[in-house]
Amino acid sequence: MRRLLGLVWEYRSRCLLVLVQQLLLVGIGLAILGFSGIGIDFIRFRLDPAANEPTWLFGIHPPASLSDMAILATIATAVLGLAILHAALRLWATLSASRLAQTIIVDLRVRVFEKLQWLGFSYFDRHNSSSLINRVAGDVYAVRTFVDGVMVEMIIVFLSLVIFTAYMASIHVMLTFACLATTPLLWTLAIRFSRMIRPMYLETRERMDQMVRDVVENVQGVAVVKGCAQQKSQIEKFRHSNNHVREQQHEIFWRISMFQPTMGMLTHLNRAVLLGFGGYLVARGQLPLGVGLVAFARLLQQFSEQVGQVTNIANRIQTSLAGAERVFQVLDAPVEIRSPAQSRHLNCSCGSVTFEGVSFAYNQDRPVLEGIDFSIEPGQSVSIVGPTGSGKSTLLNLIPRLYDPTGGRVLIDGTDIRELHLDELRRHVGMVFQESFLFSNTVTANIAFGNPQATGQQTFEAARLAAATPFITRLSDGFDTIIGEHGCDLSGGERQRIAIARALLMNSPILLLDDPTAAVDPETEHEILQAVDEAMRNRTTFLVTHRLSAIRRADLVLVLSDGQVAQFGPPEDLLDQDGYLRSLLSAQVEDLDGPLDEKRLAFQN
Amino acid sequence: MSNVAPTITQVAKDEREIHQRPLDWQIINRLLRYTRPYAARRTWLLLIVVVRSLQLPALAAAIAAAIKGPIQAGNQAGVAWAVVGFLALAVSTQIVAHFRQRLALELGESVVHDLRNELFAHLQRLQMKFYVCTKLGRIISRLTSDVENVRVGVQEVMFIAMVQSGQMLMAALFMLWYDWVLFLVVLGLAPVLAGINYYFRRKLSKAHRAVQESFSRVTATLAESINGIRTTQAYGRQARNAELFRDLAEDHAGYHYEIASIHGRLLPLLDMNSHFFIAILLLLGGFRVLNPSIDASLGDLIGFFLMAGLFFSPLTMLGLLYTQALTSMAAAERVFGLLDTPPDWEDPPTAIDVPGVCGRVEFRNVSFEYLPGTQVLQNISFVAKPGQTVALVGHTGSGKTTVTNLVAKFYLPTSGVVMVDDHDLLEWKTESWQQHLGIMVQQSFLFSGTVMENIRFSRPRASDQEVHDAVEQLNCMDVFLRLPDGFQTQVGERGGNLSLGQRQLVCFARSLLTDPKVLVLDEASSSVDTLTEMHIQQALRQLLKGRTSFVVAHRLSTIREANQILVLDGGQIVERGTHTGLLAKQGAYRELYRRFLTG
Repeated sequence: MRRLLGLVWEYRSRCLLVLVQQLLLVGIGLAILGFSGIGIDFIRFRLDPAANEPTWLFGIHPPASLSDMAILATIATAVLGLAILHAALRLWATLSASRLAQTIIVDLRVRVFEKLQWLGFSYFDRHNSSSLINRVAGDVYAVRTFVDGVMVEMIIVFLSLVIFTAYMASIHVMLTFACLATTPLLWTLAIRFSRMIRPMYLETRERMDQMVRDVVENVQGVAVVKGCAQQKSQIEKFRHSNNHVREQQHEIFWRISMFQPTMGMLTHLNRAVLLGFGGYLVARGQLPLGVGLVAFARLLQQFSEQVGQVTNIANRIQTSLAGAERVFQVLDAPVEIRSPAQSRHLNCSCGSVTFEGVSFAYNQDRPVLEGIDFSIEPGQSVSIVGPTGSGKSTLLNLIPRLYDPTGGRVLIDGTDIRELHLDELRRHVGMVFQESFLFSNTVTANIAFGNPQATGQQTFEAARLAAATPFITRLSDGFDTIIGEHGCDLSGGERQRIAIARALLMNSPILLLDDPTAAVDPETEHEILQAVDEAMRNRTTFLVTHRLSAIRRADLVLVLSDGQVAQFGPPEDLLDQDGYLRSLLSAQVEDLDGPLDEKRLAFQN
Repeated sequence: MSNVAPTITQVAKDEREIHQRPLDWQIINRLLRYTRPYAARRTWLLLIVVVRSLQLPALAAAIAAAIKGPIQAGNQAGVAWAVVGFLALAVSTQIVAHFRQRLALELGESVVHDLRNELFAHLQRLQMKFYVCTKLGRIISRLTSDVENVRVGVQEVMFIAMVQSGQMLMAALFMLWYDWVLFLVVLGLAPVLAGINYYFRRKLSKAHRAVQESFSRVTATLAESINGIRTTQAYGRQARNAELFRDLAEDHAGYHYEIASIHGRLLPLLDMNSHFFIAILLLLGGFRVLNPSIDASLGDLIGFFLMAGLFFSPLTMLGLLYTQALTSMAAAERVFGLLDTPPDWEDPPTAIDVPGVCGRVEFRNVSFEYLPGTQVLQNISFVAKPGQTVALVGHTGSGKTTVTNLVAKFYLPTSGVVMVDDHDLLEWKTESWQQHLGIMVQQSFLFSGTVMENIRFSRPRASDQEVHDAVEQLNCMDVFLRLPDGFQTQVGERGGNLSLGQRQLVCFARSLLTDPKVLVLDEASSSVDTLTEMHIQQALRQLLKGRTSFVVAHRLSTIREANQILVLDGGQIVERGTHTGLLAKQGAYRELYRRFLTG
């Protein structure tokens, strides 16, 4: 709450401007109403001298020399003049209100987005992505609403209600009270109704979601539905959810169509009071017709509009507080991995990597890596093997500081990576994940993701090295084809090859490949590994894999077991030792349980 | 390469849909047909609409009459009677309002409800090709946002437009009666007002569309930025992405500002119009009232003033409704477009229910193309004897899955015949054939619900005992009993609560439950842990026993045990035989096998 008020304070001058403009508008509106009333009263006075003389503004009587028409013309001109002023001011007011709202939104959005960009992986491990998306997309609106929809609006509503009441009371106190008598009733009814109807709408939304889920599953599982010939039972199921929605909707319809006419009736009741009591007063000559009765009618309408705002504000407070909490949670989250204040530069970009007693744990009590020590020369390739959960991916993630080790240190070309600027470090390391994320953008933009300044020629070259050009040129727009979620669909192997091209274009001396063939079938695996071969040339490469041929191609093999280095050395040596690599080999081959001929096949390459 | 300003994401052009289209009587007529089952309600609604369009001006007239008569005359008893009359009229108006609202809402919901049912039922008739070519999001928006827009069209546009036009007409008549000269002035203002409305509404609807499009850019970018955050950070793109996002957010704010500036011009202009009108009324009306030679009274002037409000406000409303009508029209066209999408084929009227299946499957010179000109299968012929297991192997895109799709009758061959027990598959009703078939897709798809419900999916009437028997037969009872709630365990969305291996076993049981004679199976390629793998291999052996099976194989064990291996390449069978026979051949199979082993 205090922070929200702080936010209001941050934009105070703009808020104040909006406030002043709105109050001026209310004032001019009243003046127009007053002049119209005076006009009517003047006509009535001329027609029926028995009626009261109009209450002239500031007690200034029109000079007697003016004709009736001239007086009317003056009043009409005043109305028109004020109307033009009102219109101009309203345009200005609308624009500044919008500018206020949009400034806050852009500021907040960018602030939250930027913060998200820098939060560590572990933050995203802990938080659901759709909830994070909502914070930037929706919750920032809620926060903004607090500024212009709650704070500023509250002051406007309060002051205009006071002004309206004062104006009405200055005309006739009793009539004012009589006409506003139903206001509290209006108020409570509206609040009660919104409290009742809200959970019902939520229920509708849930039932709608269920219905949509039915459709989604039906479409995603269409082969199963058809294969099992269950179309009829699916239609039955959908009908059921559809009816479920309709029933709930009818409940809501019934209530809405009771509530709104009731509220309308209350407004009519107000008018009836005005007509009766006000009419009575006018008939007895105690109230002017124009400034009194007609102006009152208009004021009552505006008054009830403002009262309606109060319910809205009450609802907004709740949502904006909830939204603000979610937004501030992100803004307050600590950035775990940041560049040092005084960063050092690398001595050379050769690509040697050293782990010195490195330990890591996602949770305090369950270490993933323990006492890892090894050193890789520039240009060497290492394959990292080990059973699931032995910490292979974690080890890779430590090199570009996607996580920081809990103990020990990682050095690149002799420098502790925590002393490097993050940008420099990450430009130094290219990475391909198990399942690569491609953005909905052109092929070119995706390949140049890490190096947006790359020329077309460089992009093409990277794609060629990654064996991606053949299928890219077959796409509808070649390199300009939009791919990813909102574009053309690619197969798993094609995606990985684009990801490899992306890593190659970074032209970084160190390349990390985290089991890039995990999610593809054996034939595609072959294609990807060809691209990998090309990529490994002249680079320090780490390759997580379980494929024999890939393991054999590397200069060194590092076997991880329960977070520790079990074996480390050239593949030929390790194959001679008794250990994981040996057992992996024999398992993969013995599983064949076929003739000797086959086994030999497996080793050839 | 492309000249567009750099962004984090872009959307392909064919993802966009039109938002509005001109009114089209054919579509309107077709929509009206959906109200036919609710004819009584519709008739009542029409009647009420007429009554309501009389009542609103009548209320204003009552006030005017009270002012003109008893109030000006100083008749206090008359004022009381006027109030009573006004209240009576008000009560009746609100009662009618209740029915107007409720009936319209109910009618709209009924139409939407029926449309959705029809859409869903139609979706069930469409074949695989449609589902392959259509994105899920499209289908969902037909059933949600498009149908919602149709609803607004039915329940709001038509009836509100009628009330408003009626109200306008009545108000016009009253004004004519009060003072026809002044009415001419009003009539002169009306086109100005309508013009202003039309001009700005068009701009507004365009601006709103721009905001929507820009917002979907914002959310799409957001979603990808967060889902792809690991990539972003690994590539050190944080600062640049934040910068690009600022541009996007500012761009988006610009569209909002544009809307505000249109509103900022439109609303004051509307205000001005009514203020201008007041000024004219004062001047001209005053002149006419004060001039003794003209028969006009102050009461009429006030009545006129009240009526003018009722005359002008529908102009704005009708403009809004018109825009909405165009949007509804576009939505209705899309909905009907889906309803009119014909299935790829219909079973011929002579098609019969499958009498019983032995399990002999034969392909005779079968060719197939998904799109004209790109042949996927060329002249395939083979025979699978009852109970045989046929393993399909070959590169990605060689046509393995297509063969299984043709056996399942998901598609019809472009030429050639698929025969089962010496019957052309065409002679049998598609649904009936699929009931005799067991199918397992690669992703091991599960529906949300319990394990039990999922197994029973293929035969909803199967008893618990039958389900247990099927699982027992697969030797995997222990796997299911070990789940947290046994067979009652919720599998979660797409089976997310179960492991990959467990999901496959559920699918096996689901297929076994119908005791199919012919089985089609796309093996999952992802690996599972050793224990589950053992279970799966065992279960698979049980499942295949005694059934004619077509397996797109990824397991060596499955391939080795197959009675017949078909090696496909470029849509043709390049080799066929058994594992040992083919290995000896030194051909395509041997090469595939080697790669399979060595990667």
